Order: sequence, then C-alpha cells, then structure tokens
Amino acid sequence: MPALSDINSKIRESARKLLADGRAEVVIGYRQGTVPMTTSPMFARKPAECDQLIWSNFARINLANYLPGRPGKVALVAKGCDARSAVGQVTENQILKDNLYIIGVPCTGMIDTNLVLAKETRPIKELVETTDEAITVKGEGFSTEINKADVLRRNCQTCANRTPKLADELIGPETPGANPDDFADIKALLNKTPDERMAYFKDLIKDCLRCYACRNACPLCYCPICFVDETRPQWLGKSTDPMDTLTFHILRGLHCSGRCTSCGACETACPVNIKVREFNRVTELTVQNNWHYEAGQSWDQKPPLTMFQTDDQADFIK
Amino acid sequence: MNNPYLPYPVRIAEIRVETEDKNLRTFKFEFLNPGDEEKFAYLPGQFAELSVPGQGEIPIGIASSPTEKGFVLFTVNRVGQVSSYMHNMKAGDIMGIRGPLGHPYPLEGLKGKNLVIIAGGFAVTTLRSTITWLLEPSNRPNYGQITFIYGARTPGLLLYKEEWMAWEKRDDINVYVTIDREVPNWNYRVGFVPAVTKEVCPPPENTAALICGPPIMIKFTQPVLEDAGYKPDNIIMSLENRMKCGLGICGRCNVGPEYVCKDGPVFTLAQLNRLPKEY
Amino acid sequence: MPEYLVKESGLKEFFQSLANGRHLLTPQGTGDKCKLEEAGPDKVNLDYSNTHMSPKSAFFPQSENLMAFHNKSDKPNPFVYQDLGDKAQPTVIFGIRPCDARGLSISNRVFQNDRFTDPYWKGKYEQTIKIGLACASPSPQCFCAAMGGSPYGELGLDVLAFKVEGGLGLKPVTAQGEELIKQTNAAQEDLAQEIKKQEAKAIEAQGVGTDLKPIDDKDLMELFQDPHWTATAENCLNCGVCTFFCPTCHCFDIQDEQSEQGGIRMRNWDTCMSWLFTVHGTGHNPRPSKTERVRQRFMHKLKYIPLKQDGIRGCTGCGRCVVMCPVNIDIREVALKMCQPPAQSQA
Repeated sequence: MPALSDINSKIRESARKLLADGRAEVVIGYRQGTVPMTTSPMFARKPAECDQLIWSNFARINLANYLPGRPGKVALVAKGCDARSAVGQVTENQILKDNLYIIGVPCTGMIDTNLVLAKETRPIKELVETTDEAITVKGEGFSTEINKADVLRRNCQTCANRTPKLADELIGPETPGANPDDFADIKALLNKTPDERMAYFKDLIKDCLRCYACRNACPLCYCPICFVDETRPQWLGKSTDPMDTLTFHILRGLHCSGRCTSCGACETACPVNIKVREFNRVTELTVQNNWHYEAGQSWDQKPPLTMFQTDDQADFIK
Repeated sequence: MNNPYLPYPVRIAEIRVETEDKNLRTFKFEFLNPGDEEKFAYLPGQFAELSVPGQGEIPIGIASSPTEKGFVLFTVNRVGQVSSYMHNMKAGDIMGIRGPLGHPYPLEGLKGKNLVIIAGGFAVTTLRSTITWLLEPSNRPNYGQITFIYGARTPGLLLYKEEWMAWEKRDDINVYVTIDREVPNWNYRVGFVPAVTKEVCPPPENTAALICGPPIMIKFTQPVLEDAGYKPDNIIMSLENRMKCGLGICGRCNVGPEYVCKDGPVFTLAQLNRLPKEY
Repeated sequence: MPEYLVKESGLKEFFQSLANGRHLLTPQGTGDKCKLEEAGPDKVNLDYSNTHMSPKSAFFPQSENLMAFHNKSDKPNPFVYQDLGDKAQPTVIFGIRPCDARGLSISNRVFQNDRFTDPYWKGKYEQTIKIGLACASPSPQCFCAAMGGSPYGELGLDVLAFKVEGGLGLKPVTAQGEELIKQTNAAQEDLAQEIKKQEAKAIEAQGVGTDLKPIDDKDLMELFQDPHWTATAENCLNCGVCTFFCPTCHCFDIQDEQSEQGGIRMRNWDTCMSWLFTVHGTGHNPRPSKTERVRQRFMHKLKYIPLKQDGIRGCTGCGRCVVMCPVNIDIREVALKMCQPPAQSQA
C-alpha cells in the first residue's frame, strides 16, 4: 500500500530533474484542489513549483488533453489510460514523440465522487487521503473511512491497463490490472430493437446541458472547430432538443471510435452525471471485434478508422 | 408590454446592388403595419436587427436618415447565413426589422461645430444617414463647415454614388472621394483615407470627427487626427461586435463593462482609450 | 416588519397554504439531485447544502421560445411573428439560498436594464414570490460573505426563512412577502435576536474571506492587462460548466428553428467560454483564445458588473463553479490574483 506522500516525492523529484536537465520545459501534473475530492491540473515550469505536484485518488482529469498542438518539450504525469491517450496523440500527429516524456504513475483506480456521496450523504467538509487504497471523509460530527475499491469509477473498475507500459519512467512498482470490460451490457443493448436502443440513449442524455465539458475534457476532441460549433452550415440546433443533443453524443462517440482509452475524463467532467462513455463503449466494442485494436498500446499503430487497407472488410456495404 | 425582441414586419420595396462585386445590396423597407414607422423613430448612427424568419437576425446600421420618410434603408454585406439569404430575397418579400437600437451620433451636442466625416468601404452606411440628416435645410444651419472624406479600394466598391455625386455639387459640404489605386476614367482622388485626411481635414478648433471604417483605416486615420490636434473627446467612432439581442442582455458584445449594442455603438476615442480593445 | 414562526408540526399546512392557487417550487431530493421542483408539500427537503443548479432557470430557462413565425409572405396581410411570451403564472419558490437570491437580483438589473425590459424574464420574475432559506452551515465552497453577501442575506428575496429550534422562522423582506406569510399558519414571534445570533455564527463558520477591495480600487485596464491571465487560464478546458451553473451568468444565443410551415425563434443559454460566442462574420474574433475568454468571465463578475451595478459584485459566492469545474478553477484564487500588485500575480 504505497503512501501518497511517497508517490508525491517521487513525482516531484522526477519533475525537478526533467526541468533542470532541460528534458522538459513544463511538467503537467496535478495539484491539490481547493475543495474536498478535487484536484487541479497544474503546469510546473520552475523546479520550485514542483513542490505543488501531488498524486491523489482524485487525479481523474486526463492531462493528455493539454498536449495537442503544444510546442516545446513537455513531461506528463500519467495514469495508464492517460499515457495511452498521449501515445494515441503521437500516432495521430498531435504531438512529437521526441517532445514528450511520460512520467507514468502505476494506478490503482480513481474515485467516483458520486459513489462517495452515495455512501456518505451528510455534507462532507474535509477529505483525508494518505494511501491509494482508502480515504476518510469528515463533516460535522462524523468521520467515515471508505475503501477505494467500493467507490471506484466505472471505467477504473474494468481497467486492465493501470500501469502505463509505454511511459518513459514509472513512479513505483507496476500495479495489477482489473478484469477487462466484458461489454456484457453493451452486447445486450445491441441485441435490442432500434426503438429500444433509441429509448435507452435518449434516457441516458435526458439531463444533458450541452455544456460540452465531456468534449472539452476529452483528449481525443482536439478539432479546432467542433462540428457542433460550425455555423456554415450549422449542422445542429443549439437547444436541448433530444435529437440535437443525441446527435452530438452519437457523432462524438463515432469520432472517437478506436481511439478511446476509457480514461473516464468525460464522465468525471460531466456536471449532471451522464454515462457519456456508453457511446464510446459501443464503438470500442465494434472496433475490438472487427480490428482487434486497442488505442494507445503502440507507438506506431494507427487507429483503424484513420487508415485504409485493400483487405479491409467490406461486408457492411450492402 | 412592448416586446423589444419582436420585429416590425416590413416589405422589401426595392433592392439596389451597390457594388460591382454584388456583395453589397441596399434594401429599402416599408413598414407593413400603420404606426410602426413612428414607433421606429431613430437618429443617425443607430442600428437595427434585420430579421428573417427561420434564418435569424443581423445587426445593421441604418443607412437612411429620419428626414427621409416612408421607408428605411439598410446596406447589407453578404457575409453569413442571414445576409446571404437576404441577397437572394426579392422586392415584395416580407421580413422583419427590430429597433432602433444603440445610441446615435451625438449630433445634438455637436451643434455649432465643424464636422469632418471620414468613411471607409461599406462602413459608410450610418454616415450616409448622418450627412443626409445634416444637409436637411432645418438642420444644416446648426453646424459649421462639413467635410466628407470617403474611400474604397476601387470605384466599384464605393456605395451611394448618386448621393455623394449630388453632395459634391453642393457648396455647403466639401466632398473628397478617394480610391486606393489609379484607374482609367477616375476623376476623383487617389490615395488612402489617412493620407487624404491629413491633407484636407479642417483645423481641430471647434471641430469633431466622425469615423467609420475597417479597423486598418481607423488604425492609421486616428493618429493623423491626433497629430492634427484633435482631442480624443472630439473623435467619435462606431464599433461593431457580434450581437444577438441588441438590448444589452445576451452578453456577447461587451467591451469591458460597456455593451456595444446598448451603450454604443457610438463611442468617443476618449471612452475607448479607457476600455479593452475587445472589438 | 416582525418575524413569524411556523412550528414543526405545522410545516405541512404552511407549505400547503403557500401553494394556494399558485405553483409552489420547493427543494426536492438530496445531494446533487436537489432541485427546486413542484412536488408534494410533505417532501420538502430543509437540509440541503444548495440546489444542484441555481434557480435562474425558473426565470430564464435554458431553452425558451420567444416567438413563432410563418413564411407565408404571399398572404394579403401576413403577420410574420407571433409573441410566445407572457405565459408566466403566479408562483412561490421556497428555498432559494441567499447567494442565489442575490444572483437573481443582479440578473434582474440586466434583464430590466436602463434602456430595455426583457418581457420573458419580467413576467416570471414579477409573478414569483421568492422565499429564501438561510444557510446555518456553510459548505467548503461557500464564500458569500467575502462577495458582500451573507448566509442570511435578504437581497432579491420577499421572505427569508431560517431554521429554529422546533420550527421555521420567517422574516418578511417585502410587503408582498409579508402579505403571503399572513395568509399562512405562521404566527408572529420576535426572532430578531435569534437571526442575528445565527447569522454571526454562520459567517464565522465560513471563515474570513479575502478582502477584495483592491479589485474595486484598481483601474479596469490595470486588471485587464495584468500578465497573470495566461497562467490563470492555462488549465481551463473552456467548457461551459461554470457559466451554466452560475446564478448570475445570463448570456444567451438567439436561434431560429425552422420547419416547412414556419418555426420558432428561441433563446438558449450560451457561454462566454465558447469560441463561437464572439466571432465576427468576417472571422475576426475579439476574444480568440481561452485566455481572453477566461479573463472576460472573471472581469465580468468582479469588475464590470460592480462598475455597472453600484459596486455589487457579479459573483455571489455560491461556490457551484468551484466544485463543478472539471479542473477546479476557483474564483477565490483568481480574485486573490486580481488583488495582487502585478509583479506578484505573475507567479
């Protein structure tokens, strides 16, 4: 059970060295959030700033999101999924491999705040976290210890890639992966009628505000102008009309096909707790079935839907 | 309650192609409902939202003068969805206009002064309104010397040819029309607006400048006026920003604490000097 | 005006009488499911921290139809637009937190500004009696006092309710509020000292906020040009969460949605975090990157609104943006940077 303070020291030490050696001009990592159960991405450019870098059970936002188009040498504090996203961005030509240094942190999964709030319904005023296996939340007249295993994010529960294998260095020993997503629910969903599937997805997004936090937190969504923001022509209405909203989510899901690393940043960012990843899980299952491909597992393999081969299957053309 | 979002229905009475590239057309609107013209009482420098059902709205300066009765004029550049749609509309078609919006040029406060009016390209619209208003016999005696400097890249890009050619023949306004480069059969000036301004602008004493033009023209004309001794209080400009409501509510057109739609679009340079350049 | 008391046993009857002939919205659900909704008077939650979203949507829904139109210009006397406003109905909202009520009063001065009145807002705002519920126990993200408000603030409310031993205290703020209270089972009771005591305790629990006077004193161009904005905006994702959850963010977009016969002109919440918000038809954008957009949001809250609204800050300290922001950009930290002399705020 590694103490968070040990991980913190190692991240800081590595970051300081990378900055001092000129291996990186900036280290992108996490700092403590200002309210319980939050962290905030930070950009350390001076060795002294590295003292603010931390590791946490709430290091949920995928920092690879800050890489596309970034000039200069950058070091990234990354979980398994984040490192895969960064590798994916290299294969998609969003950042030069030579400019990237991955400080890999073998992960034990991140906590879903909503699950904590479901376990402890009294107002939480303070969080204590000393290890990467449990937390204590405190409020007026209570102090509750919660086992991380009971409050993991859904994507972390089925993460087989917790150790960032392609990282330039690892902070601490490798961590075992969980049993991978068996997509049982998605397979069941795909066996339903189109009307039933439509009803399922409409219900899924009924609270969507179209704030686009999912898109903006996503390391795959780096288009300079997203299709929902196009005005000439304007593809989509701007209201919360269910079909417009659903079109956004479905198209975003399709755009991410074969590229998603299940980092869960979209669901973490969503302010109304939509299971945004359901759209991606449908496309991921399809890509895995058809091309046996998983994003970000190799430096030189491109996502199947970004390339063309003469022996591509064509049985979907009728 | 009066609903300021609700446009007055108007009929397109006439469409005039203004420029040789056909990108600018002047729309002459007549109000459908009696009484709406009186409700739309405006002054030079104000603008309106032109409203096409199903397409949206665009904020456009009013090119006619309130002294011209029975119609209102707007010159529309083909840029986006609404303006492109309008360019395919025909005389007789029905649409809406909503306004007047914004503050006019402070002509009341400029009484007794000389005026130099400087326009570039198709930003001349509300200055056409201003000059037409100033030349009205009941208004003209209230002002001193009036100088009008108007430039465009080519002769074919100058708007309102009939109007400025008529003004040129008058002796109560000095008109200087200029194009960027020499072309055959051009009988007026050649040169950029800042250079012409430097040459012909009246002395700054008791004089105000009204400027409307593309950013590059304003950028180089402003120092010419300041070098000539014009005080920022006497340099008056009209801004543009993306707008939706026109009422100071929807929030996008602000320049610092001021909304271009509600608190502008007319500002003095003295005001703008204290505001962020977010326009 | 005197205070009133409803005994715990009389709460159900109290809420029933509030609903008499009116829509009654009360806090329903717990945690981040807590919403102001129309529901049975016996399900009112009096123990929420705050509602998940601010109450602004009761007056300014995320999507609102403004007018209908048809395209039949061949008719002899065609009407083009048909007003869809003015459908407001008498409503009572119970359980608006003082921070949010303050937010409503700030937005009210935008929707009913010095030149124009927004009829869609005005209809709902003026037909709604607003009953606040004071905050005895602040959350970690709460800082209303630092923004000039109070957990027992009255601005924007008709009545302020507060929990007391064995019941609910009520302090009428407006004549309309007192009139409503008189129609209920609440009985007069002198609770002036009790409120003062509770308020002092609640403010103390919030902790001493930063003194933001330097922001008021600084020239707006000094704040605007301060070099800290690049670093302040660096981790921003430019999503719209902060603006959608903010009780004072009021920006909207107007859109036409068309069918073959005609269509609807509507408005939808918009966000200054979006690139599209300010881009000109020519492609020029006065706020081209997230740095300008983040600066706009904080300058608007902490400088522009105070300049336009007699010093009242455009942030009410509800703390929603602090917790909802996916990257935890904390307006308290930004305000602190804005207070610093330029040399120190760069770090």
